[in-house]
Amino acid sequence: MGQLHPLASNSALESTIDKILKNTEQDILASIKSGLDDSQQNLDDAIPKLEGEYDKIISDGKKEADKIEKQIIGSADIQARNQQLMALEEAVDKVFTKALDQIANTDRSGDYSNLIKTLIEEATQILGTTEISISTNAKDKDIVQSALSQFSGAELSSETIECLGGIKVKSKDGAMTFDNTIDARIERLKPLIRKDIAAKFGVGN
Amino acid sequence: MTAEGGVQYSKIAEIKGPLVVVDDVENAAFDELVEIETTEGERRLGKVLEVGNGKAIVQVFEGTTGLSISGTKAKFVGKVMEMPVSKEVLGRVFDGLGKPKDGLPDPIADKFVDINGEPMNPEQREYPKDFIQTGVSVIDGLMTLVRGQKLPIFSGSGMSHNLLAAQIARQASVVGTQDDFAVVFAAIGVQYSEAEYFRRSLEESGALKRSVLFLNTADDPAIERIITPRVALTVAEYLAFDLGMHVLVVITDMTNYAEALREISAAREEVPGRKGYPGYLYTDLSTLYERAGKLNGRKGSVTQVPILSMPSDDITHPIPDLTGYITEGQIVVGRDLFRQGVYPPINILMSLSRLMKDGIGEGSTREDHSEVSNQVYDAYSRAQEVRALAGIVGKAGLTEIDLKYMDVGDTFEKEFLSQATDENRTIEETLALMWKIVSKLPKNEITKIKDKYVEQYYKEE
Repeated sequence: MGQLHPLASNSALESTIDKILKNTEQDILASIKSGLDDSQQNLDDAIPKLEGEYDKIISDGKKEADKIEKQIIGSADIQARNQQLMALEEAVDKVFTKALDQIANTDRSGDYSNLIKTLIEEATQILGTTEISISTNAKDKDIVQSALSQFSGAELSSETIECLGGIKVKSKDGAMTFDNTIDARIERLKPLIRKDIAAKFGVGN
Repeated sequence: MTAEGGVQYSKIAEIKGPLVVVDDVENAAFDELVEIETTEGERRLGKVLEVGNGKAIVQVFEGTTGLSISGTKAKFVGKVMEMPVSKEVLGRVFDGLGKPKDGLPDPIADKFVDINGEPMNPEQREYPKDFIQTGVSVIDGLMTLVRGQKLPIFSGSGMSHNLLAAQIARQASVVGTQDDFAVVFAAIGVQYSEAEYFRRSLEESGALKRSVLFLNTADDPAIERIITPRVALTVAEYLAFDLGMHVLVVITDMTNYAEALREISAAREEVPGRKGYPGYLYTDLSTLYERAGKLNGRKGSVTQVPILSMPSDDITHPIPDLTGYITEGQIVVGRDLFRQGVYPPINILMSLSRLMKDGIGEGSTREDHSEVSNQVYDAYSRAQEVRALAGIVGKAGLTEIDLKYMDVGDTFEKEFLSQATDENRTIEETLALMWKIVSKLPKNEITKIKDKYVEQYYKEE
């Protein structure tokens, strides 16, 4: 009979199995520990990144909110301002209409004839000639006619024009025209008058 | 402004292109405003270009289409063209001649100002040195705009310069001060859709209330384009020097302005200069660009960003060429980057802000700004060389450091240069991105930044 293999005995077998189990257990535990350490490390590494992401999301959100706030406030401001402008313009127009009515119904006696003379004088100076034809409205025709004696060469046109008052002067050759009606003078000064009226409403002070 | 009006003349000798020659005129003055009345009673504005021998040559802003020699009348108003100005112009939209285009009445004027402006006394000029944040990284970081500077954008046909112009107008601000800031935006000869985009973009972003828009569209008469930048700059000067605001004037597109100038010059039969533009193009452009600046003892400033599209992308074309002589640097929009879909497609290697050095650093932006900007510029330049080399030898033939530079070039274009049209980056965010690019290089390649800044901001990946 030959000699028995060492594993043939139970105790040797058990001891070997124990050894293998122990080694395996150690390997598994080491592997778990290493996995745990890695996970812990990953978690630690992720925290600043997450904090960064969190801060970025909050900051982007804040930016977006600021942007929307600006949009809403800006657009509301513009709308309110536009409505205010329209209301002001309406009020200024009302004042203008009333003032023009008053001018149209001004009493033609007294200083008005002096005004007409001044207007004719101004026009002849600007045109550089008294060889002119003057047009005016039906109301002022007589006043203009009586003022013409002081301007040799000037004549009154038979046609009347639509205006609040004043005169429109044309050189006799028809090459030059000068509009010195009250309407034209008001039109030229309108931006300044609007400013004065608006100031009365407390705008632009 | 006086109540006296001007004389109306009815002898029209000739109508030639945008010009009307009036006969038997006495006492007309150069640059005097003229009201042209058509046979139908329509009124158009013009100005006197030449007077002599009883004749006056009048340039009609709204064009001469429909005018005839008989029946047309020219009234010489006796004053130059003026723009009514007041704080009320903020938030308003005007046409190219300064008339309201938003359905609202004329603004109540605080005063009426000659649109040609008054030349700034050179002795009174203050050197520009305060930073304006545009919110566009490439501009704030590498070609910083300063208050009182004139920094043009050179672009090409079809590129995204108008998007950039609108973004700058929406986002621009002055940082570190409570001073008021305003934007005057002048669109010259733009398409209707573009004009609408500018208006809507400012309105929707809430920036309209601090802006004034002047919109001259492509279907408006070309001659009106001569006036548009002048009325815009007149308003800007009023806001800056009368009301003490910091005003950014964005003008797009100056090429359309120069073409209108060429049209008038050709009609006047003047001897043409380069490419048919008048010989005085340089002088004329300078009368606009030199209206930017700051004055001693005055609080406000006028900063200009004129945009011009270079015909055939030719930077030697007379318009960009002459503009470059007057302005303080240039921002060049690159066709290659545009084709790659990069926005804003700014070619930094061809761009420069000459006044940047005085507007950045401690107290303005940050102490490391100048150095980090030099390093980024240098790195991108090197990246371009490496890309060219890779085109010949292939990527495999590149060294490790070459590959790092290529990476820097890619990061620069993708993360720093590229920006959404509604993305408003602070200067701190811009500087952080610049350090991110620099941090892609090994420390021994960082040669333009002091060690203390490298230690503070460098973050190795």
